[in-house]
Amino acid sequence: MSAVLGYWQAFLNATITTLWVSWLALILGGIIGAAVGHARLSRSRVVRWMAVGYTELFRSIPPLLLFAGVHYGLAYTFEVRLTPFQSATLALTLVASSLMAEVVRAAIESVSRGQRLAALASAMRPIQVMYYVVWPQAIRVLVPAATGVYITTLKDSSYASVITYLELTRTTLLVREATGKSFEALMVAAVIYFVLTYGISRLGAFVERKFHFVH
Amino acid sequence: MSTDAADRAPILVLERLTKRFGHRVVLDQVDLAVTPGEVVVLLGPSGTGKSTLLRCVNGLEEIEGGRILFEGREVLARSRTVIEIRKHIGMIFQNFNLYAHLSALDNVMLAPVKVLRERRDVVEARARELFRKVRLEHRMHAFPAQLSGGEQQRVAIARALAMQPTLLMFDEPTSALDPETVGDVLAVMEDLAREGRTMLVVTHEIGFARHVGDRLIFMDEGKIVEEGPPDDILERPKNERTQRFFSSILRG
Repeated sequence: MSAVLGYWQAFLNATITTLWVSWLALILGGIIGAAVGHARLSRSRVVRWMAVGYTELFRSIPPLLLFAGVHYGLAYTFEVRLTPFQSATLALTLVASSLMAEVVRAAIESVSRGQRLAALASAMRPIQVMYYVVWPQAIRVLVPAATGVYITTLKDSSYASVITYLELTRTTLLVREATGKSFEALMVAAVIYFVLTYGISRLGAFVERKFHFVH
Repeated sequence: MSTDAADRAPILVLERLTKRFGHRVVLDQVDLAVTPGEVVVLLGPSGTGKSTLLRCVNGLEEIEGGRILFEGREVLARSRTVIEIRKHIGMIFQNFNLYAHLSALDNVMLAPVKVLRERRDVVEARARELFRKVRLEHRMHAFPAQLSGGEQQRVAIARALAMQPTLLMFDEPTSALDPETVGDVLAVMEDLAREGRTMLVVTHEIGFARHVGDRLIFMDEGKIVEEGPPDDILERPKNERTQRFFSSILRG
């Protein structure tokens, strides 16, 4: 065990890298997902179809293929050479945004159409309807679901190991080779993933309580 | 007696209003004029376009033909001007549609503060007055989910009044209520009619139509079939469809 723990600094760096890339993907995916989720509810049929296409496409491709496709596929076919960090961020953002789009759509639809009509009837502009009536209620549905998306994103970031991105999983595999202590190395990684995931869950629950109201 | 011409000019005019959903004609060349202070009650079988008519008046629905004039200005759905018009038209819905995340008081204050940009303290004073008027001053800080249907509807009426509208539209305001709370809502509506408010009311409450309505309009299949003073329409309907409708609900 001590042989593995001797690499604590590598594990620490890798943990920070994993957190960073998944956080970045969550933020970028959240922004894109919010746009795509709203587009799903657009009055324009073309916009709706494009949003559905985006969501279904990136939700149905296995993440492993997406990572390999972004990193190697783009390089061989279009000569677009991305660094492992760029590829990992892009692939993970595509996954996270397609999941977030669904979460955002469901959150918006959780607010009754009647409330939106009432707000429109009281002379609010559409953006005011969203700001004062829809979003404050949608956030309640959004937070727990977004917590789930973040956990998925964090775990999916391990696929970045196949494109030589030195995050937690790849670091673990390298430590395993260097020490020959397979079980110990994987145990350390598992504990770290668990602590991160559990931390996110608690944080999500905390934020959720902030938005609670009687209903 | 007031014979001021401005008093008699209609506040709302519908000219050959036509509304279709796909191929189905929901409103078929409807003509209607409402004068200030008048309480007009729309009656008729379900699905004959009464609620749709209300939603056309404040531009929540686009129309396919004819035109709508409110205080002399044409109502064009999805235009910028429709927002100005909506400031003067209060709407009360069948399902109350209170904002679930806001207290009753905040429901009432939201639009005057955010849309009309009035000062909070001014709006709050007015809101408190309105809660007294709808007899809910003890429930101001409750959330919608903590209120009965009748209470929610009275908050919704206060919410509409807070904008100081010149026309109030009621879309089956008591249809979703438990029988024991219907009376409270109707009593508030009757008070409003007595104050001389202009009201356009879609309802199945015949008693309200008879005692509070100045004019009844009977609609069927998107058309106005018959209209006139309540007693004439209810006691001596000329049209055969009107007769059938009233005999069925009065029996019913």
